[in-house]
This record gives sequence, structure tokens and C-alpha cells, in this order.
Amino acid sequence: MGASSYISSGLIEAYISGLAAPQELQELETAIVQYPEVASAVENCRLGMEHYIMLHSVPPPPVVKQNLIRIIADEEAGRLNRIETEETQIIEHNPVRKVFVSSSWRWAAVAASLLLLGSVLLNYIYFTKESEYKARYNTLLTTNNSLTSEENSYRSRLEQIKHSLDIVRNPSMKTVKMPGTKPFPTAMATVYWNQTSKEVFLLPNNLPTPAPDKQYQLWAIVDGKPVDMGVFSLTSNAEELLQKMKSIDNAQMFAITLENKGGSPVPTMEQMYVAGKAS
Amino acid sequence: MGTALTYTEAELVLGLKSRSEKHFGYLYDHYSPALFGVALKVINDETIAGDVLQEIFLKIWRSIERYDIDKGRLFTWMVNIARNTAIDTLRSKAYKQGLKIQELGSAIAMEQFVVHLAVDHLGLTKVIEQLNKEQRIIIDLAYYKGCTQEEISKILDIPLGTVKTRMRNAIIQLRTILKQL
Repeated sequence: MGASSYISSGLIEAYISGLAAPQELQELETAIVQYPEVASAVENCRLGMEHYIMLHSVPPPPVVKQNLIRIIADEEAGRLNRIETEETQIIEHNPVRKVFVSSSWRWAAVAASLLLLGSVLLNYIYFTKESEYKARYNTLLTTNNSLTSEENSYRSRLEQIKHSLDIVRNPSMKTVKMPGTKPFPTAMATVYWNQTSKEVFLLPNNLPTPAPDKQYQLWAIVDGKPVDMGVFSLTSNAEELLQKMKSIDNAQMFAITLENKGGSPVPTMEQMYVAGKAS
Repeated sequence: MGTALTYTEAELVLGLKSRSEKHFGYLYDHYSPALFGVALKVINDETIAGDVLQEIFLKIWRSIERYDIDKGRLFTWMVNIARNTAIDTLRSKAYKQGLKIQELGSAIAMEQFVVHLAVDHLGLTKVIEQLNKEQRIIIDLAYYKGCTQEEISKILDIPLGTVKTRMRNAIIQLRTILKQL
């Protein structure tokens, strides 16, 4: 079936009104991927239906909001208590903090502490490799400008760095992928976050070159609030180079915005290029 | 809309995912009338619809991690939760009372045009007046009562094969009216 026959078949309206049978649903979902015209017809139909739904808006009784606020506050308090207890049991030297810790971070913490307890040697090797990597990285940064004419050797060195990165990545190095936001779908960057040392490195996989008076700025979202993680510039090989940013103990998300040169105290949300969950 | 603060959808989602109760309050203030409207249309009982609305917002809060901004708008995602939750309640309630779904359908078929005065400024009366009765009912049966094509064919006494065509015409008519608002 071609795009126009999907559009005239009534399948789109059946889908939007909740009438489509499971196999029809599957068929249309395939067509949406296959034909952009079908995708936009579905979206237009959905917007119409949502407009109709909005017309039926009725203010709910105030008691519903009061109940919800109470239930949510109780749940959050319960969860924070639970996390605090678990945290103090696992990591004794960690002061009690009111933070949200996701289960994946808890697993990382368990893995990290097992590693600490289990093998001092492994840690020693790991830290040696990490400082070796950092030394290489710093050398590379300082010599970057003179390296453009030696791109081939440069690339092979980068391969070495990538190799080093692979070594340090596990188990303490956490990778946070930050895909492009809706206005910038092709943008992409990655945060490498050492869960032991709390160091944060940034890899701008694909970010457009900013205007000369602009600079990208990395943010960590901690308990709903953006925390400045430093600005960075795109060098000629930016997509291959890790940049060291500010360290942070905990964060739920990372995001990058485009700001005036030197950075901004608060993120400009309309200029958010990428964002990714840390948990 | 009552509060001076405004968030973009991306900011709102970011805040909800980091479990900010302030963002949740904002979300509730802005979207609860629309979602309550859905629950009320499905359930037709203000008290039960209030309970359902509470359940809807708890589901939104508890599953916001699974919402992917790249896969669709936040409103679409929330309306789906609202509709599914309300219809589940309707069906289980109907089941408990021993009602057949067909009776449910006949009940709305006989419903009068009851429009809440509070929301009339949105233009609902105008829309409903311009849709013919069958068009209004077929949309409501499918969307708000979760009826299948077979059920609609029985309730409206039309051949199964024409349900989709009637629905298409009804929605085309609806969208034409909405454009004139």
C-alpha cells in the first residue's frame, strides 16, 4: 500500500481514535517510519483530536492536588530514607546526604566498593593507567595546535588514547550519552564520569561550530537544578578529543547549552543542544 | 495560567525526571483540567473521575523516566495514560456491575448535550453543534469509551466494514470545524 492509500484508508483516523486493531496498529506504525507523508498526516490528525480533547477541559476538584502533593512528598521522603540507609551501609565514609541515587549508581557503588575491598592491586593498576592516560591527554591538548599537519600520526595516537579510555572506562568510568534535543536532532555528545574520582570528561561527538562570540557550556542537573560544569571550545578534532570538565559528586542528568563566550550563570534552555540521563 | 513561572516542555521533562516536586506542581496546574476532562468524559461521575485523575498523575510521576521526548509530545503521552487509566476503570466498573459494553454505548447514545458552562468559552458547544449526532457518538464511543470496531458496529447498527470510513468522515468533519474556531 502506498502513502496516499494509507491516508485515504481511514486507518490513520482509526489509530488516532483508538479504534485500530493490533495488526492495523502495527501496519500503520511501519507506514509511519516508511512514509514521511503518513507520519505528518498522523501528527495532524492527532493534533486535531488533542484540540477536541482540550475543549473538554474541566477544572478538577482541589482535593485531588492536595492528595497528590501529600502522596508524592511521602513517597519521596520514604525513598530518600531508604537510599540514605543503604548508602551508609555500603559506603561508610560517605556522609549522609539527601540525594537521589539511582539503582544503576547503587550497583556501580557496590561494584566499586567490592573492587576496593577485593583488590588493592587492581586499583593501583587502574590509577596508574588513569594517570598515564591523563598525562597523554594533557600532552595531546598542548600539542594539538602543531599537530594538524601530522594528522595520520595524530590519529594513531588518538587510537591509543581511545584504547586507554577503554581501559579506564570499566568499572568506575560511567558513560552518559547525550543525544540531540528536538531543535538539534543531529547533535550528540558524551560525558565520561569517573564514579570513583568524580572527574568528568566530555566528548563532543557532533556539535555544530558556534559563532565566534559563543561557547558551549556543560551542565549537570542535580536535584532539578542546573550546576555549571564549565565551558568548552570545539577544536579541529573536537569529536575525537576528551575535554576535562569540572568534577561532580552526583547528578541525574547532563546537558549542553550554547552561551555567550565565557559561559552563563544559568542555562539558556532554548539553546539546549544535547541532554542525557546519568542514571 | 495562574502562575508567573513558565517552563518549556524540555525543561519541564528535565525537572520531572530529576523528581522536582515544584515541576510536578506546574505540570498538574497546566494539564489537570485537560486530563480531568478526559476522565470525566469516560467515567461520567465527578467523584470517580477525581480518583482516576489522582491515579493518572501518580502514573505520570512514577513512569516519567520512560517518557522519551524524541518519540512524541508530552501531552500525547499523558493523554494516552489518562485515556487508558480511565477506560480500564470504566471497563472494570462495568464488569463489576454486570453491565454489558453495549449498554454503556447505548447510554451515551442517549446522552444529552451537556456542556459545562465553565468551559463553554473554549468553543465546545460550537463544535458539538456542527458535528452530526452520529459523528459525535462514533468519536466518543471509540475515543472515550474504548469501544472496538465490532462493538461500534453493533451499537450504531452499521456494517463492520463501514466503521472505519464513518470514523474517517467524522474526524475530517471535526478537524474542519476546529480550524474555524
